[in-house]
Amino acid sequence: MRRAWAYVVSLAALALVFSPVLRPSQRDSFPLSTYPMFSYDRGRQSALPTAVGVTVDGEIQRLSPELISGGYEPVRAFATVEASIAKGDTADLCREIAERTVKSRSGDFVAIEVVTEVHDVVGWFQGDKEPSQRVVHARCALDADPVVTR
Amino acid sequence: MSALTRRTFDRFDSRFMEAVPARRLATLRILVSAFATVFLIVRSSYLFDISGLPAARFDPVGVLGWLGEPLPLWLVKCTLAFAVACGCASIVGWRYRVTGPLLAVSFLLLTTYDNSWQHVAHTENLAVLHLAVLAFAPAADAISLDERRSSRPAAGAHARYGWPVRLMSMLTVVTYVVAGIAKQRNGGIHWITGDVLRNQIANDNLRKIVLGDTYSPLGARMVAHAWLFPPMALATMVIELGAPLALLRGKVRTVMVGAMWMFHVAILGVMAIVFIYPLTLVAYAPLLRPERLADAIESRVRARRLRPASSAV
Repeated sequence: MRRAWAYVVSLAALALVFSPVLRPSQRDSFPLSTYPMFSYDRGRQSALPTAVGVTVDGEIQRLSPELISGGYEPVRAFATVEASIAKGDTADLCREIAERTVKSRSGDFVAIEVVTEVHDVVGWFQGDKEPSQRVVHARCALDADPVVTR
Repeated sequence: MSALTRRTFDRFDSRFMEAVPARRLATLRILVSAFATVFLIVRSSYLFDISGLPAARFDPVGVLGWLGEPLPLWLVKCTLAFAVACGCASIVGWRYRVTGPLLAVSFLLLTTYDNSWQHVAHTENLAVLHLAVLAFAPAADAISLDERRSSRPAAGAHARYGWPVRLMSMLTVVTYVVAGIAKQRNGGIHWITGDVLRNQIANDNLRKIVLGDTYSPLGARMVAHAWLFPPMALATMVIELGAPLALLRGKVRTVMVGAMWMFHVAILGVMAIVFIYPLTLVAYAPLLRPERLADAIESRVRARRLRPASSAV
């Protein structure tokens, strides 16, 4: 009886962990995952959504993941901006980031921009650091309401 | 059933139901519970930060998929405190039949909540699964307060301690196989022969740079050398799809466990991604003989206790 119980429990557990592979929808979940990380070909030209700070001189400076998404995980910051662009609520996200930036008193920024930068990801590490395309989705002055630009 | 099938099953059965010392399962209880407890404590500030995000950023997954809105922060804090308390109780093996399942459930809920903010990470999955197996196993029959309270004689080797360890080992290797299948499904043979891995490493590091985070200088340097990546991709596929070899005995197991660990060290080196559960080796403990660690610690403690007495003589 104990032996049968051991086999039933083990088979059920293994089937559960393997089941995401057989699922028609490849939407990832937790803790039963398809483990899709690093599996897709992202190509050399990559659109990277992010948010940046703009100084009084118009200089663009990088913000930390904490300022962008409220947590230190860079992948979550990336996912937050990506999802916001997809949902069309970049103005809200811009405002959230602006609030966090003001609260943390980090940087000397006059505005925050939610942007997508298109880079040759391999070329970047060989010196080609300018994005081939830059789309500003929302811009918000640190003391004014955000403007949706796209 | 043919004779061959019968023989194969009998061999599998004798290995799967093999008697192992109660101390092995108990050591796993201590290691995995300690990992989960420390992980929750270290992760708490992050969890509290993201719990305060606007509801629009909430995208529940898994067992919390039904939640319509984020939980109140006080509830997250209370659950975390409760989970840490259960974690401490599980480490020392206090009323483990209750505290073990409670730790497993609260760790599942907290890590699921952590992953319900528009991004699913893949760092705590295996720890959740291992805790679940331990929760329903007699993992506190040795090295525990429960054992001290009990009037039963010390637990020795038995099959009931063996199969949960084998199941934990199998779950470990299956997660690697699933990851390998995803790479073949989404990238095909091009994942090995093409530039997929190179682009991934370049993409991941540049993404960190545009998000103002720490990136890997080693990965950034390697990106210039395209020839490095097909062998690395092939090694990745061999390790992921070949992970079941770690269930064998002897040198094959040692080599495979070493290769799986090195794989995560390499990911840390070229992408600055920390898969903390495998990097601490706790993920591989079921594949090894973790009770040796407990034995070594106990004999050291015993030696220290004896030293003052002997020096007095």
